Amino acid sequence: MSGDAVQHPRARGGQAPDVFRKGGWVSMREYPCDEEVDFVIVGTGAGGATLACRLAEQGFKVVALDAGAWWRPLEEFASDEAHQQKLYWTDQRICDGDNPLKMGSNNSGKAVGGSTVHFAMVSLRFRPEWFKCRSLLGYGADWPIDWREMWRYYDEVEQALSIAGPITYPWGPPRKRYPYRSHELNAAALVLARGAEAMGTAWSATPLATVSAPHGKSPPCVYRGFCVAGCATNAKQSALVTWIPRALKAGAEIRDLAMAGRIETNDLGRAVGVEYFRDGAWRFQRARNVVVAGYAIETPRLLLLSANHRFPDGLANSSGLVGKNLMVQSNQAVWGVMDEEIRSYKGPPSLSISEHWNYQDKGKDFFGGYAYMSQGPLPVGWASTQNGRGLWGAKLSREMQKYNHQAGLKIVGETLPQERNRVTLADEKDQYGLPVARITYGFCDNDKKLIAHALHFMEQALEAAGGKEIWRQEDDTCHLNGTARMGDDPRTSVVNADCRSWDIPNLWICDGSVFPTIGGVNPSLTIQAIACRTADRIRALAQRGEL
Amino acid sequence: MKQRMRSDTTTLLALGGIAIAATVLGARKPARAAWSAAPRQTRREAPTHIAAARRFNHSSSLLALSVLADSAVEHYRGSFKNPAMFIPLLSASLSFFAGLHGGRDRRAASHPVRHGIHAFAAMAGIAGTGFHIYNVTKRTGGWSWNNLFYAAPLGAPTALLLSGGLGAIGERLRDQPANEPRLLGMPAGRAMALAVSAGLLGTVGEVGLLHFRGAFQHPAMYAPVIIPPVAATLMVQTALAAPRPRPGTRWWLRLTAALGLLGVGFHARGIARCQGGWRNWSQNIPSGPPLPAPPSFTALALAGLAALRLRQTEK
Ligand SMILES: Cc1cc2nc3c(=O)[nH]c(=O)nc-3n(C[C@H](O)[C@H](O)[C@H](O)COP(=O)(O)OP(=O)(O)OC[C@H]3O[C@@H](n4cnc5c(N)ncnc54)[C@H](O)[C@@H]3O)c2cc1C
Ligand code: SF4
Repeated sequence: MSGDAVQHPRARGGQAPDVFRKGGWVSMREYPCDEEVDFVIVGTGAGGATLACRLAEQGFKVVALDAGAWWRPLEEFASDEAHQQKLYWTDQRICDGDNPLKMGSNNSGKAVGGSTVHFAMVSLRFRPEWFKCRSLLGYGADWPIDWREMWRYYDEVEQALSIAGPITYPWGPPRKRYPYRSHELNAAALVLARGAEAMGTAWSATPLATVSAPHGKSPPCVYRGFCVAGCATNAKQSALVTWIPRALKAGAEIRDLAMAGRIETNDLGRAVGVEYFRDGAWRFQRARNVVVAGYAIETPRLLLLSANHRFPDGLANSSGLVGKNLMVQSNQAVWGVMDEEIRSYKGPPSLSISEHWNYQDKGKDFFGGYAYMSQGPLPVGWASTQNGRGLWGAKLSREMQKYNHQAGLKIVGETLPQERNRVTLADEKDQYGLPVARITYGFCDNDKKLIAHALHFMEQALEAAGGKEIWRQEDDTCHLNGTARMGDDPRTSVVNADCRSWDIPNLWICDGSVFPTIGGVNPSLTIQAIACRTADRIRALAQRGEL
Repeated sequence: MKQRMRSDTTTLLALGGIAIAATVLGARKPARAAWSAAPRQTRREAPTHIAAARRFNHSSSLLALSVLADSAVEHYRGSFKNPAMFIPLLSASLSFFAGLHGGRDRRAASHPVRHGIHAFAAMAGIAGTGFHIYNVTKRTGGWSWNNLFYAAPLGAPTALLLSGGLGAIGERLRDQPANEPRLLGMPAGRAMALAVSAGLLGTVGEVGLLHFRGAFQHPAMYAPVIIPPVAATLMVQTALAAPRPRPGTRWWLRLTAALGLLGVGFHARGIARCQGGWRNWSQNIPSGPPLPAPPSFTALALAGLAALRLRQTEK
């Protein structure tokens, strides 16, 4: 059955899989390729699915394409880490630079629902100052959007995803009450809490996109802990079970196993549609507007792949910034062994959090901030982390016996935008015959100082919480952003605040690529908030006849 | 979605039907007594205060059953880590049988064993509350919402206290003269109405906390934080104002009693909405909404009806 999902498109013949019923189907509107739809959206992750839903609900004709499969979580998500690799984007990519990235499980998904199908559900808001970090904090670049406006869209997304969060959140300006109550803390989360209290800093239950009470057809979370391998209960509020069903209901068509290879433009310099590969053949969907939402690697790749005689450097690239300023988030950790049993894999992996160093500017020798969270690695992942430390054979086996007693703290750290960190096209081709992405990445000194600060602080906190045999995991990175930044100047940005490209007025980019800076929080809530805002802006522009 | 709405509506209709039936059935028998200021004493009926005492015994028994089932599930879930976790099971079992026994007993004298059992339940309830408070405060975070939600529930042992209290009242009432019985230095009907009111408010506190934890995700979750407080207020009014027939209060108490039964239906549906539903009962009964909890309202409302009846005979 699994094999079926990656071999034959499921959304066809006027129906699409119903993710809430085993073997079920829901009806889906379909558009012929030669009909010029209002929007064709490439990618159905945090950005694409949200926008597809909101635009369809506004009455636009929407077709969304995703290269990945349309999974049925209730039937096809196994409690098997190796098997669940089917959710990752593992197509070939070439990684180089001072700190070559490890691509796949920790940073990119390929499925209807995008990376949110296997994300860790941490749903955080930006610190307000970050939207003006160049002017207010002296680094990075300003966003063209005001934080107060974003605050309203955060509210909307938190409602839509029934975020389970604490009654009061210790950091940042007041926010509306989270729609659902925070989850019970597991022992790993309490280790973070004890450490934070010992260090005299605040901590909190993490706002999470998995429900703590039933919502619609989603049952409450069962604390099975397999979240980053895909949630088999639908408690997780991924795009696959939230925005996508809403989009279908509103009349959007979603095409699975549909890989976009090229955006066509006409002589007037406007986009006219998308060429994509599905069901063994290249096809062309006509559209009045094209939205690219393939995440920070595939989005610039597609724009670069679409170069033509009129736009020889790729689409939307008059600034030369498409693919540049790629930002990961640093993801270093400290681990230790506790006397008591922890069983950190019980429940969502990051049930507690400290955002202290996102909001505290004193005592830092670097720009930017980081959050750190409790951890719940699954066994195979944990074994490979130990391999990364050089442990094999008897040593590995001894270490694995401490699995139930280990606890860790891991950061989501801000890195600075640098033009040398970038996505370009390589000569190698992928299975569709398209040049693969070359990803060049290296930390700057500021990034390294931030990491050193975080490791030092977390080490003290873990020790204060009773951790023994503490060691540092220094090599990990997560979340990808940048590569098509927004701004208010066409010379220094790729899109404007509405995610509309400066060069091609009917070409939009709506995903993690548009971030000018990345902050020290996981990005998906912000991506979805931006998508909601973009939908509202598109409606306003359409009403004024400015689309 | 539409299908779910339909099945929701069907469940609601079915539950509504049960509730109405329960209300009507509950209303049928005592209706006669309700409307006459000075109830007739038939040959088969004991004096009014004994009837009230028996009803209190019954309520105590129902509450004990609710505590028994609830603490069995919850403490099983807590793996009976502390041997003291068996105490509520023992105490509630004894109270359950004592209440049943008292409910059948028409004699105008308290029963020392039953009385002892009820006193034990009340004490176990108080001690349990102490344990649960300790469990909350010793956790990292102390008096935090998260601990109030997920540590040992503070309000749960008070149900045992209530069961013991109602049972003890039932016993002590029997020792009073048929004419103008008194409890705690006031007319017995008044004392009982106040006790029921306090019990209702305490239970509402617990339900309010837990339904807040469930984010009031279903509109019906508001019912038990709206209907019983009104009943509690009416009970205070019954206690403090001059005695007179109160058909409105009576109906409201019946509604509250029905709510307790309806609640079981809603909680059963809540379990069905968990992953695996009723097929996965062994996991979902312990982790879903507590099935035995809502009948506490039924027990208290029935005690309220008994108090009301007695109060009407007072001057
Ligand atoms: C393991 C893991 C844990 C994470 N945990 C968190 C977390 O706790 N909190 C948080 O906020 N974020 C988390 N993230 C990050 C978050 O999932 C992403 O930032 C977010 O999903 C990005 O949204 P997006 O719309 O930009 O891209 P995605 O969600 O990745 O969606 C992009 C989609 O586009 C499709 N696509 C790309 N190119 C093409 C093409 N050419 N043609 C057709 N389709 C294409 C892909 O198949 C994919 O489905 C996590 C990510 C991972 C991998
Ligand atoms: S822990 Fe909760 S969110 Fe994670 S996989 Fe299990 S049910 Fe889904």
